[in-house]
Amino acid sequence: MPEAVGFFTDTTVCIGCKACEVACHQWNDLPAQLGPPQSDGLRHPLPLTGDSYDNTGSLSDLNWRHVKFIEQFSPDRKQAAWLMMSDVCKHCANAPCLEVCPTGAILRTEFDTVYIHEPACNGCRDCVSACPFGVIHMSQDPNKLVAQKCTFCYDRLRHDLAPACAQACPTQSIMFGPLKQLQEKARSRVRQLQQEGVKSARLYGEDKTILGGLNAFYLLVDRPETYGLPANPKLPSRKVPWSSFLSIVTALFTGLAVLFAFRSRTERPEVRESA
Amino acid sequence: MNLFVADPEWGWWIVFYFFVGGIAAGAYFLASLIELVGGPLSGDLPRVGYWIAFPLVLLCGILLTVDLERPDRFWHMLVRSEKVHEALNQNWPSGGWDAMLGAPLLKRWSPMSVGSWALAVFGLCSGLSFLGSLRSEGLMVRLLRQSWFGRILQLVGSLVGFFVAAYTGTLLSATNQPLWSDTPWVAPLFLTSAASTGAATMLLLSRLSGVGCPEAAERLERVDVLALILELLVFAGLLVSLATWFKPIWDTPQGKLLVVAVPAVGILLPLAFYLAGHLNARRAPATLVLAALFSLAGGMLLRYAILKTPREILAERSSLISTMPEPPYGTPGSGAAWLGAISPEDGRQSGQAGADPVNRAGELQPRTKIPGLE
Repeated sequence: MPEAVGFFTDTTVCIGCKACEVACHQWNDLPAQLGPPQSDGLRHPLPLTGDSYDNTGSLSDLNWRHVKFIEQFSPDRKQAAWLMMSDVCKHCANAPCLEVCPTGAILRTEFDTVYIHEPACNGCRDCVSACPFGVIHMSQDPNKLVAQKCTFCYDRLRHDLAPACAQACPTQSIMFGPLKQLQEKARSRVRQLQQEGVKSARLYGEDKTILGGLNAFYLLVDRPETYGLPANPKLPSRKVPWSSFLSIVTALFTGLAVLFAFRSRTERPEVRESA
Repeated sequence: MNLFVADPEWGWWIVFYFFVGGIAAGAYFLASLIELVGGPLSGDLPRVGYWIAFPLVLLCGILLTVDLERPDRFWHMLVRSEKVHEALNQNWPSGGWDAMLGAPLLKRWSPMSVGSWALAVFGLCSGLSFLGSLRSEGLMVRLLRQSWFGRILQLVGSLVGFFVAAYTGTLLSATNQPLWSDTPWVAPLFLTSAASTGAATMLLLSRLSGVGCPEAAERLERVDVLALILELLVFAGLLVSLATWFKPIWDTPQGKLLVVAVPAVGILLPLAFYLAGHLNARRAPATLVLAALFSLAGGMLLRYAILKTPREILAERSSLISTMPEPPYGTPGSGAAWLGAISPEDGRQSGQAGADPVNRAGELQPRTKIPGLE
């Protein structure tokens, strides 16, 4: 078995160039995202979002990488700062999408990444609702119509190549490598930043607290929510025991109601005796 | 409440499926239970329930298949397609049995996977009961309803009926969507709604067809009243469990429907009409019909409001993100309720298979454009 691999994304050195997005589109043959059909019957490129320098908007069936631009202003608005972060599928160690998939189309590769095997997907969208990061989207391409997300460049990994985004990143904000090495590197980077006075530097998903560990984990300098990351994502199955237990109790009471109404001791005893 | 998720766009097909499936399941478990425990008191009323369940579950199958983005692959819910192809390549059934026997796919921790199998079993049970209820007597009735086989069918059928009524709620909770995954009470609420809408449909059909003696119908009304009271209690449980997030839910139109219209139309009005009918010595049939119709309308509203509220909350997420608490989710020692891992994905370590029951790591050839390897 090959080693588990991952991405360590150090957001402090991201310059928002979107080379990762371009490389991803180019390698995976992802066309530009178009808007819904207009009055002329054609689909046009999306208008400007007006949201900082972000015109990708969000991860989608065609955008498997998304560079987020988070603008932060001081209360008097004299000072401004940007947080930039290249978002991608987290390839969770305990993957919610893989857990719920009823067709077995989502599987784990020999590199410990999470991969959607398109020919098996029937488009039920359970994975879309399960992903706590809003990563998975349904393809709008009529020839596909299946769940889409980052493949971690499975084909490139097979041939000992780095994923396209990591190879393209000019600042090494996206680092690719064996997961264990990346985790070491990330911890020392946080220590370094803390010593330099960046007290808010923290890692997200490097240890087991977030879904057993994320194969694509992050160095952040603010709360995860600021970056659009949930603080406590959970596995869908965590809700199954309580939901089942309460349902069984409710079913028992419903059964008792039938028994109570159709087994009355006070009424029509002659029928009961003859039964 | 996780506000960073994507919308699965489960729309009207699923609303209708939840509603129709609830009626089918409710009518079936009520009919089976009445036949099991009622004996002569059941007064042919179960037949009406069996008439309802099977046609509606067929409709459910159609609704669910239509909703898939790739309806041609609906059977992937039950079997591994590549194993079937492998078996067919080996000229199954004259060969390829190994592959075919490895084809069925059940992930016991995935509500959608278990639910698909449960629907298949439910279709079988309700189909047999349907055959047994076409005539009021005869060989089919004796074989499928009055024999020991009929008893087993009723027992299994009522259990599967309960499961089909509730699993849709568990399916919603087993996600990361706002509202759905914040409460375990959606499934029991769907179950009680299945009971009340199932009973309402049975009462209406019994009145229309004249099948099922009036005394039995009166007893079913009593069941329905108890089911509605239970539904009210479960609904209160739902509201209490969502108290922390009441504001974002209330701020959406569908949330207001859920909090006000669902209990008013689906629970309180039917209860009031039953009570009015009970107090009225002549037992005006109009009160019963109104109670049943409001029950059905409430069941539909419930499914619509539950399914559509998360999308509306997500649309407002930018104003909510800084204020919405996300509690720790049950890990041992976190203080949150946790009943242990039920899926091999929970606590999976790097290198283990986890919830991928048919791990084909290394077997697949992913599409590539590396020169010479395409």
